[in-house]
Amino acid sequence: MDFRFDIIAEYGSFFFKGTLLTVALSFAGVFFGTIIGLFIGLGKMVKTKWISFIFVCYINILRGTPLLVQLLIIHFGLVPFIFHESNGILATIVALSLNASAYIAETIRAGIQSIHKGQMEASRSLGMTHVQAMRYVILPQAIKRILPPLGNEFVSLIKDSSLASTIAAPELMYWAQAMNAQYYRVWESYLTSAAVYLLLTLTLSHVLGRLERRMDAK
Amino acid sequence: MIKVRCLKKMFGTNHILKDVNITINPQEVVVVIGPSGAGKSTFLRCINHLESITDGHIYIEDADITDKRTDINKIREKVGMVFQDFNLFPHMTVIENIMLAPIKVKKINAVQAKDKAMTLLKRVGLETKADVYPDSLSGGQKQRIAIARALAMEPDVMLFDEPTSALDPEMVGEVLDVMKRLAKDGMTMVVVTHEMGFAREVGDRLIFMDGGSILEENTPEELFDRPRQERTKAFLSKIL
Repeated sequence: MDFRFDIIAEYGSFFFKGTLLTVALSFAGVFFGTIIGLFIGLGKMVKTKWISFIFVCYINILRGTPLLVQLLIIHFGLVPFIFHESNGILATIVALSLNASAYIAETIRAGIQSIHKGQMEASRSLGMTHVQAMRYVILPQAIKRILPPLGNEFVSLIKDSSLASTIAAPELMYWAQAMNAQYYRVWESYLTSAAVYLLLTLTLSHVLGRLERRMDAK
Repeated sequence: MIKVRCLKKMFGTNHILKDVNITINPQEVVVVIGPSGAGKSTFLRCINHLESITDGHIYIEDADITDKRTDINKIREKVGMVFQDFNLFPHMTVIENIMLAPIKVKKINAVQAKDKAMTLLKRVGLETKADVYPDSLSGGQKQRIAIARALAMEPDVMLFDEPTSALDPEMVGEVLDVMKRLAKDGMTMVVVTHEMGFAREVGDRLIFMDGGSILEENTPEELFDRPRQERTKAFLSKIL
């Protein structure tokens, strides 16, 4: 079997651009997913039953349906409905953010609830409001416990973002498929993309691991 | 200054407090004793509304805290609380622990808050610990910091919920000393404790609780030396 490095080199700049987009999409997913997830997570903890039920539904629907299905609905349904034209990158960011937010919401809720309830009581007994206690006492402590699983979510999103190739968002997997379509070369295209994904996820895991250890030391 | 009227508290169908009535006067030190499960801590936690109240009224300086229109955060500024397990904020240094509420709740500036915090740290004998994190402190030191943190809000009343129960025996003394000085300075205090020596020495009035009600109240001498109720006698004979 011959392995044609020359066509990989030819697609090098495409792979590079695709990789940048993959990282950007995943980062956007984590970023917006965290912001939305914080509200969803806090919403699920609201004591009023019917309010928390809305957030429970949101989480269950987004976690209980495939990301690919969500991506297609958003790309062919939601985005054209709102903007009157489709946009693969936008649809991917929306789908990844919403999907990640459901998982992140649960992470954040678990992180907050893992903080001893005495912390909230002590804060309230000093006259702080619930919001002040959350902001200055509970969340800063919860973040330490939320960050490691949030990092794992980032790693998952890097892999999940490959689904965007199905709606022609020009990320890493899209270029691998384009290369395969042009040359009918399975190994070169898919092994290259696999190697890049592996490089990204391993690097990220390593960085997150070090970050975690540094926070523990603090 | 604190009036508790017909206070009832239920957890589900469980009666924790049945009809508690008491008036606590300014500068008075009231010590609450009784077997575990008597409702002592719940009673204390009702006073600053950390527990919801099933029925009855609690007035703090004429404000009814059971009234929905009362701003409970304003009341809590005046009612300091010290917990059994300290509940210091582990992500902040000692001085930040003390400064947080005055800055965020009372909106005083950081310089003033720091001065005040240092004064309080001297008062509890821990001025050298200002910049360390709570993790590095002993239990007794943590509890003294917790007292300083509560005092930083300049409360009119201090509630102590078994403040020495989580401490190693050799550290109980240092915390009780701080509390004794506080009492001498005229602070109004409600103390739930098992430290009978402290109750006798510092308490103006002793309350014996069992089964969710106040069974007997009197001066420490009278209650310790001439208990009237059988249950009080039985309890005291077991612990003295």
